[in-house]
Order: sequence, then structure tokens, then C-alpha cells
Amino acid sequence: MESQKLLPQRTQQNVTNESSEDEWSEGSSCTSYYSDSDESTIPDWEPYVDDYSGELLYIECHPFVTQNKDNQKPKETVAPFSKNQLRQSTRGKFLRLIRRRESKRHSKKFPKTPDANDNNTSKVKFQDFQEGEEKDVLLEIDQENKYNLSSNVSLAESLLGLNVSTLSDGNRVMIAGFSLDSKSKNERNIKIGDWLKSINDIEVNVQNLEDILQKFINNTDVLLKLQRVAGIDVTKDPPINELNNESNFVRELLNSKGEDEQLLSQTLCKHPVGIVYINTDKLSENSGEYEDIIYCYPRPLQKNILCGSRGMFLTLNHLLDDLVRSKPKCSSMMYKKRLAHVVYTQCDKNLLLFMLPDNRASAKEIMYINNEIIRLLEFSYETLDKCFTDELKLTQVDHFFSRFFARILSSGLWATAQQFVELQSLSVKSLQVSPHQFENVMPIAPFLNLPDEAKMQIDDALTELEASDYRDWNEEPLDCQRLFTVLGSVIYHSGYLLASHLIHEDLVDVHCFCRQQGLLHLSRTEPVKSLVLWKEVFPNSCNKNKVENENVPDGRRYLLVVGSAKNLLAVIMEAGGCTEPPEENMGPDAFYVEEAQATLAHIQELGLPELADRLLSLNPGFQVASPVPLSNKRKNEFIGSISLSKSATGLKESPRKNEVTSILKRRSSDQNFVLPYNSSTSLHDDCYSEDSGSQECCSEISDESGARSRRSKCEYDEDLSDNDDFNDGSQMSNSSFDVSEIRQSLLNETEDYRPIQITAGQENVLYHFLQLDTAEGILICPPESRVQSQTLQLVLSNFRRCCQKIHSLLQNTLRFKNMPVPEMSKSLMNKSLIAIKEHGILFECPYLEEKENKKNKIVYWVIGRLIYMPHPKEVYVCYNESVPQNLVELAFKMNIGVIT
Amino acid sequence: MSANVMCVSSASGLPIFSRKKGNAENLPFSTIGSLNGVHMFGKPINLEVLNTVTEDYSVAWKEYHDCVKIIGIASGCSVEILTKLLDSVFSAVVLIVGLEEIKSQRNIERLKRELRVCYPIIDRLLDSLDCGDSTNKNSSDLVGLAEVILCTENHLIQIVLDSFTECVDSMFSSILIHGKVATATESWWNLHPDEIKLLSILANSENSNISKDIPVFLPYKSPTVAFRFVALKLISDVQLCCLCGPAPVLKDIEHSATQCFKSSADIFATAVQCHPRNFPSSTQLDSSILGFLLLNTSQGKYVISKNPQQNSTKKPASSSHRLDILRTFFYQAVTCFLVTEDFKIENSNYKETSKDQLDVDDLNIGTETYWCSEYHKCHAMKINDNILCVLYGSSVPTHAMRLITEKTLKMLISDKQVCW
Repeated sequence: MESQKLLPQRTQQNVTNESSEDEWSEGSSCTSYYSDSDESTIPDWEPYVDDYSGELLYIECHPFVTQNKDNQKPKETVAPFSKNQLRQSTRGKFLRLIRRRESKRHSKKFPKTPDANDNNTSKVKFQDFQEGEEKDVLLEIDQENKYNLSSNVSLAESLLGLNVSTLSDGNRVMIAGFSLDSKSKNERNIKIGDWLKSINDIEVNVQNLEDILQKFINNTDVLLKLQRVAGIDVTKDPPINELNNESNFVRELLNSKGEDEQLLSQTLCKHPVGIVYINTDKLSENSGEYEDIIYCYPRPLQKNILCGSRGMFLTLNHLLDDLVRSKPKCSSMMYKKRLAHVVYTQCDKNLLLFMLPDNRASAKEIMYINNEIIRLLEFSYETLDKCFTDELKLTQVDHFFSRFFARILSSGLWATAQQFVELQSLSVKSLQVSPHQFENVMPIAPFLNLPDEAKMQIDDALTELEASDYRDWNEEPLDCQRLFTVLGSVIYHSGYLLASHLIHEDLVDVHCFCRQQGLLHLSRTEPVKSLVLWKEVFPNSCNKNKVENENVPDGRRYLLVVGSAKNLLAVIMEAGGCTEPPEENMGPDAFYVEEAQATLAHIQELGLPELADRLLSLNPGFQVASPVPLSNKRKNEFIGSISLSKSATGLKESPRKNEVTSILKRRSSDQNFVLPYNSSTSLHDDCYSEDSGSQECCSEISDESGARSRRSKCEYDEDLSDNDDFNDGSQMSNSSFDVSEIRQSLLNETEDYRPIQITAGQENVLYHFLQLDTAEGILICPPESRVQSQTLQLVLSNFRRCCQKIHSLLQNTLRFKNMPVPEMSKSLMNKSLIAIKEHGILFECPYLEEKENKKNKIVYWVIGRLIYMPHPKEVYVCYNESVPQNLVELAFKMNIGVIT
Repeated sequence: MSANVMCVSSASGLPIFSRKKGNAENLPFSTIGSLNGVHMFGKPINLEVLNTVTEDYSVAWKEYHDCVKIIGIASGCSVEILTKLLDSVFSAVVLIVGLEEIKSQRNIERLKRELRVCYPIIDRLLDSLDCGDSTNKNSSDLVGLAEVILCTENHLIQIVLDSFTECVDSMFSSILIHGKVATATESWWNLHPDEIKLLSILANSENSNISKDIPVFLPYKSPTVAFRFVALKLISDVQLCCLCGPAPVLKDIEHSATQCFKSSADIFATAVQCHPRNFPSSTQLDSSILGFLLLNTSQGKYVISKNPQQNSTKKPASSSHRLDILRTFFYQAVTCFLVTEDFKIENSNYKETSKDQLDVDDLNIGTETYWCSEYHKCHAMKINDNILCVLYGSSVPTHAMRLITEKTLKMLISDKQVCW
């Protein structure tokens, strides 16, 4: 991972070099910790465990802008620690840990320090002040390089010899470095970190940079206007929020900054947002003014809109129940000329009200969001009552809601992978209309369908983790009871579910939790070095308030999430029942955390993240297409078969796009070598070149032999696991052959795996599809398209709006089918709506990519269908109307996923 | 299966009227007071409740000109349709007493008395909610839209009607057959759809056999100045309506009507036969069509029909249900995807706040929609201002619906004789 972030031969800045060397030694110390068996008994995250609750959230990030003169780090430092090493190391450790536990597991060696990142201080920080000297630089265009416009070199690099990135606002162009042989390197006035304002007096930003450069391709020189953005190196004890090794988002996840939150809370009071939990019993004339309010956010109470108007909602809640025997679900209202919605949730005697403005969440969306939040709170705190009454939990709840509301107002529910979650400019952004949401607010986890071989490997690894069978690790039998049983585990990559061994209700719980806590977003946007989360949770299947299952053992359940790069592994563990009795506020156990980390590392080593990335990067092209008007399509046709040319254009465009944002992290001087590791870009560079027939490292290995060797190993592996020989059943057996070989063959084997085209006809006319399997908690959908076109966004937003509509229509059918027969005649349902199974709408929208040509239109269907057997599923598709489709067939093909 | 609508004075909170439909009970004063209170309570804190939904019910509040509030509760229908109904109810109130009277509210008891006249109108308006019960006899009513009847004789009647209109020195007149507009003058069509609808209901309310001469205010065109609304029965089930100034007395109008229409009695006699088919028997529809709804969005008129060809083979009970299905399909699918602009939930004063949203939604223009149920299929297609919703049997293939609907729509709007 780290190697991609290196910059080639940076010798200009001494401080940086030193600093980054520090960085490296630190990084390697991190790895050495794992491989070292004895010195490092205290894991990195240990100091962060909350003393009181035992909870933990630890995120170690890759630094933002680091520079290093070692241009090639061996891959080993990057790859997660090898499992063999770990197993050996943990073997002795387990015993020791257990001993330690017996003495006193919670004795903390270090007091909890909020800014324990001190050792990370020496970093370069590019603070972008608007002020700063401006410089004009006349730069010669590199005549030799200017036709070297290969797909993986940006125009800025080939023409100017400059690597560019963005400043923190994501829009302005920053000089990130120089290419190897560039003349600009000798230009004293260009400094890394400078803001590139204009080229030949044309203002540039990330979006137009390539286009502008294209214009000057034949010039001999260009005039650059640069502005210093103060490249201050921060060396001495910087305040924590200036450390650049944490992005805003991570910092926000980790810290609950009291002052900021109060400020935010006050700002939020001005917006029609809020949540109030009211005790309806305490409502009487002679009680104090706010006595009935159990919880309220944002505060102060006097300024909270919901607090002030709660009487209205309480009356309605009571009145409608009396009047028509049904509880209100949602009220819409105007607040200072802004439409807002309030959802009601009755919880025994208490009433929860939740409010959002319409432009950020429609009436339908807010109900889904409300359900998700309640689910999250119940998963985290067992019941709403406990959540809002326990003083100690309130700071956490406050922190969650502050982030939640700020996010809703500023960047929508969840930004796409390309956007940032930003809490700035709340007042402006909160007035904009957010795109419609559908699948992101439903209680389902998006699933990435991997090839069977890969699924098997993952299942294998997870099963082994869940079994936690450590008998053969030690010659002397362990006479202690285990601390936890694993109830199930689930693995995500880039926010997509790869495999789940959880009961579906629990899966949805875990998914809601990871989504709302931002962990999924984090893994999608910022690959982290390491993430550990530990928390007591109340999964649906074990929540006695919900499940009337007497068999649920008295015990506590904990959620352990470990993450590395884009991968997340979440495990629900149970203490109690057959394990040692649970303790109060149990903290994470180093052994189990390591086990989970090792499993994740094993999966990473097998190359599954690469495989997943490769599948994720195939869009648009294979599963879904970008909307292109018919007339434009004709033009492309002679390039080749439509699917090929489409995938090619998709792939060609995206590296360029990515380069602008992340060049600094990725570019390495010797490009040919960098082996793709967890980088979607480099990965699909591979597939691109393979597509076009050129040879690349991976494809050089003969497919046949690779496949054969892998297969034989696989058989061997199966034999072992089938054997059920206890002496041999553990993961140790895997060490008899090299994991990297499995990885290689797995990757090679699956090279030709392509998702099948779901629509009929030669062209791919599908823009999006969803299969909602609420019974399983799984959503099948195409990975987010990396090419974001305005038209596509328009189409998708409308698609989601329709999905909401269709979904609620189809709910009528489900409701009626599940209704007991005697109630049917009494039901107030509209009888025309009780048996609808399919609803479709045909839309026309302009093709926004060509502003001049308004004639071009995209005509597309949005269709939703309820498939009742074997269990209810909903299928939604959005496709160009040019090729008629059979929806049942589409639904069938969605499930197939990948074929060879 | 129930609906309540009530009108409350904003200033005093006193109920002005309360009407119900279905098996609902009359709401007690305290309930009305609470519902009004909920709305009133938010005012000082800049909060105005618009609607509330429960599992089966929708509740909507709307205040008009800061003087009256109309509150509706209905089961089974969407909150958008209910809000639209409240507008119609207010229009009905304006139609009878005029805007000034409502605004001033000098004597609330007198206002209540005067409004008795519009109870039948409001009751009839409530029939246009799709509560989903098949006992409803006016299931062809659509909120805010005027129903027409397509007789082959319409173009002949139109000529006579034009000459009559000149005689009485008016511009607004129309012929109703079974309460549906058969033909009308251009000015009549230029009235707001709600006005056309209300006048049609007014002509048919209470006793349609006697001549009516009632002062009316046009809620959109002339809410403060009253016109005379004159409705005469020509033959049974055929009425002549016109709006005129004080000039010709009823006697003269009756005289002119007799003069103009005496030779057209035969035409009317055949035209009446068109009901309940509502479109010419000469027009042959595809046999798979169980019923259709043809709508013009710019003029706000529609014709709805169950195709009688099917009646002979299928049991008649299912055919009365057809109109309900078509109407629900129209409310649930067509209004939100094909005729968006008219059925937005916000008041027009709040439009600017949701401007961006409108832009995004407006760029995506719905042209067709369908749904498939176990028992039937519905398909709607929009060509320019015309929307045709067709009800099919469940055996019709989905792709075939598109072809049949398009063919039918083109055929229906190309017929010049029916004056669509």
C-alpha cells in the first residue's frame, strides 16, 4: 500500500526526507511488532481502549503527503504481516495473554492520551492560505514527451513534467512533484505544494486541467501562474488537528471535540433538523417546562425546533390514534418556508421524533433513515430507553447525531466514493437539493459476487476464524475456557459485502452500524493502515426485547471490527453461554483482535482484495453502461464490438481522472515495476492492457500451468479440511505451501472472469440494477461506476426516486399477502393495489454531456418487480428502451453474477 | 373507506362546516378543535403542518387567505390527492359565497347558512377520493378535472350551442349529458378545470329537472364578482349551462334555448345513448381493453369508460370495479410520473424553495407507465398533452400494451366529430 504513495526520487526537501524516513521507520516498527514475538505485547491500540466501557475505536491512517527518497520499498513491508509469522508469534503469546488476563487484563500500561500521535509529528503540511506570493513561470513544453500520451501518464506530466494533485478543497490544482527528466525540476520558482492558478492566463482547476493542456499541446512554451501556499513543515508539537496523517473524516470519527460540537449544535439549531425523545407520561400542566424531554439534539432545548413544537406532535400522535386507530408515521411541515418532515416512533410510553428538511431527505427517505437510526441505536445500546437515559452513553450519542446531521446537511446521506464528506459551508450546502437515495437507506448490504473459487477461500478463512480451534498450537493442552465464541463474521471490501456468516438480521445490524458510523465510507474512500473497533452490541438475534427465543443464552455480545486498506472484517463474539462468564465492560482481547487481523491479512494475501477491486473497476462496461444517446453510439460502433469499445473507453478515461487526485500518493519513479496492491487503478491498468492484447506481468504466467498448480493445491487443501484430523486441521497446515502461490493462481484464474451482460441484445443497455433481498439482507447491484457523468447522475437520481415510489407500492402487495384472512375484508387498503407485482415508467431526459446539442435524448425504463417466491425479493432495473427486455430474465441473470 | 373534510375559521377556530363520506362518524367538536389547534400551534414558531400520514390514513391541513382552514382525513388515498381535494373544496366554497364573504366573516352563522348550498357539491367532491371501496357510485370522478362525454353528435351540438351563446349575449355556455360536458364554447374551456367541474356538479346537484339561476363566483377567474349561472334542462339527462351577466332574465334565456335547440331534439336523443359508454359506439377498441381514461392535461378534461364489449362475457360486478382501478392507477402512477407539475404537494408560494428539485425532476420527463397486478394490467402513455390510461386483462403481454395503447390513443384523439 505504502509503496504506491511514494514519490519518485524526491531530493528537493531535506526536511521532508528526514520526516518521511521517520515515517518509514515507524511503519516498519509497526510491521516488526507483528513479527516480533516477544517485545511487543502491547498492541498499538491498547492505549486507546476506553477505561470505563472497554470500547475502542482505533484508526491508523496512511499519511496524506509523505515524500521519500527510497523510491522502492520492497513489497513485503507493504503486505500485511505473513500469517506464519503471526501464528508462531501468537502461539506463545496466547498463553501469556491468558495468564495476563487472569492477573488483571484491564491494567493499563499507558494512560489514555488523546493526542498519542506525537511520534507522527514531523510531516509536511501544505496549508492552503489564499494569500502568498504569486509567481509567473515560463515553462517549455517537453517536445519529446508530448506525444507520449499513454493512458497512465497525465498530460501535465508529459507536457510540463509536473505531477499534480489537488489542494485540500479538491478543486484547485497543486504541484505534487516533478517527473524524472523534467526541465521544470530545475525551475526554482516551482515548488511542490504550490497552487497552479492558471496556464496562459486561463484559470485551471482539476476538471479543466487536461482540456486546457490539450489546447497548448502544440505550443513551445506556456506561462504558468503559481501561488505559494506556504509549505510549512510542521515539526514541533503541532496541535492535533494539523496533523496530516488523519483526514478530516477520520479525525471526526475518532474525536469528539467538545467545543466544536457545541458550536455545531448551535448551528444545527437553525436548520430544520433534530431528534427528541419524549416521555409522554410526564406531560402534565404542572410539570416543569422541559421535564418530559428525555433526550434532545441539537441543543440547547430552547432553540431546538422539535422541542419547542413537541406539543403539536404529541397531540397529533394521541389524536389520530383515538380518531382512526392508527399511529401517525410522518408529518410534513413548512418551517420558515422550508419543507421538512418529522417521523414518529412510538416506544411504549415514549415517543421519538426525528426531523430532516425535505431537500436533504424526502418523506419516504426520512422514514427509511429513521428505521436505520433506530436499528443502529438498538444494536449499540439494546433499547432506545437505555440509549437515551444512560448519561455515559449520551456523549457518544451526541457525537453520532452531530456528525449525522452535519453530514446530512452538507454532503447528503453518503457521498459517493469520489466526493468528500465535508462539514464546511453548512449554510450554503444545506439549501441545495441532494440526489434521491434508495438502496443506501434500505436495510440491506450491497454484495459483490466473487467467483466461486474466491468465495470458497473467504468462507474457508472466516470459518476457521469462527471455529477458533487452537488446540494444536501448543503441545501442552490449554486448560482454560475460551473467552468468546464467535457468532459470525462478515467481510467487506470497499464497502461491498464479500461474504457473510451472520444471521441475516444481524448482518443488517452490522451493516447499518458500519454504514452509519462511517466505517464503510472510510474503507471506500481512504484505505487505512489499520482499524480496530470494539464495542458491546445487541444483535437482533440475541436481543431479548425483540426475539422471543428462550434459548438465547445470558451473555454479552461484542462487535469487533478490524480493517486494513479497503477491507473490513466484522466479527460478533459472545461472552457467556459456553465461554467464561462475561465481565462488566469487557475490553478487547488482544488475542482475538490479532486472530481477526490475521484472518484479514490472510484474505489479503490471497489476493482477494485485488480480485474484488478488479471486479469493481469493470464498470461502466460489463454490467452497466453509461447513458449515451443513440446517435453518439453509432459513431463508436466502428471501433469494434460495442461492449469492447465501451469497456475500453471506460478504462482509458478513469486513470486520467484518478491521476489528478491521487498522483502524489501513487506515482513511483519506476512505474513498470509497481505491483498492483489494492489499487484499483493499477489493477485495471492491467486488465486494460490485457484486453488490448499486450503483455503484462500477470498475464505472462501461463494461465494453464497456473490453473493447474492451483487446482492441485486446492484439492490438497480440501483434502485437509475434509480430513477432520485435529492435529492437522488448523491454518498451520496451510504453511506447507506458499500462500502467495494460491494468490497468484487465484488472480490468474479469475483474470477472465467477467460479469455477464444482464440485458438481452448485443449492446449493454443497462444503466443500473438493484435486487433487494430484504429477507437475506443482501442487495445485489453493480459497483459504483467510476465514470461519473452528469447524465448518469440525473438518471440515477430519478431512478432512485422511482424506486422509492415503486417500493412503497409493492409493499401494499406484501402487506396484503401477509394479512390474516379475517382482517382482509376489514382492511382499509385500496383494493386496486393489493396484487401489484410490477410497475414501470418510461422516461426521457436530455443528454447533458453535450450542452450544444439539446436534441439528443436518453429514453429509458425504470421498472420494479416483486418476486414473491421462494421468498420476497424486489428487482429494480434502469435501462435504455432501445432493446426490449424481459424482467424475469434480467432478475435471473442478476443472480448469476460472474461466469468464466 | 372513510373521509372527513372540515372547514374552520382561522381567527375564531369555530367550525364552519364538516362533511363526511363512507362509514366515518361525524367528528365531534373537540376533535375538530384539536386538529385545528395542531395547525394553529405551529404558527407563532414559524411551523406550519401540511400533512400527516398513518398506515392507512392521510390527514392534510390547508389554510386559505389566512381566514379559513380546511382539514381533510381520508383512508386509502395519497396525501397529494387529499391536498388537491382540499383546494377543490375551497373552490366550492368560493363558488357559492365569494372570496370577500369568506375573508370578512362578518357573520359566521350567516356564512354557515349560505354554505349549506354547497354541501351537495362538497359531498360529490369527496367521491373523487379513491378510498378503494367499490360501493362508490361516482367512481369516475377525478379530483380537479372535468369529465366529458364523447358523442358522435358533439360537433353538431357545438354549432347550435355557439348560436345560442350569441343569443344570450354570453361567451360561456356548455351542454352537459349525464352531468358530463358534451360540448362547450371556447371560453368555457378556458375556465379553470376546477371551475368547469364545479359548475357541472352544481348544475346536477339537487334537482336537475328544474331550471336553475344561481349567482356564482368563479374561484379562479372571478372570485369577488358574481356571475349568474343558469342551468336548463333540455331533455332528460341533457342540460344547458351558461354564465351570464344580469341582462337576459331567465325567461328570455329559456326562450332562446327553446328557439335554438328545438330542432336538435333528435340529435340529443341519440347523444344520450352514448352514456355510459362515454365514447362513440362507432369507435371500435381492441378487445383486450377493459376500460380507459383519456385525459388532456392542458384543458384539465378527461373521459373515462369501461369498454362494454367485455361486459357480455365477464361478470358485471368486475366491470364497476374497473373505473376504480383506473382511477387509482391514475392517482398513484400517472399523476406522479406523467403529470408532475399539477400535483405537487407544496403551495405555490413555496415553489421557489424547491426549485432545484423541480429542475432535476423536470429534466426527466415521464412518457409511459404501467403496472401489472395478478388480476389486471394498466398502461398509460402520454403524447403531447394527451394521456391515455388503459386497463387490460392480466393475460395481455406487457409489450403488447404499448402498441395497443398508442394505437388507441391516436385513434381517439383523431376523431374530429367528438370535439376532444
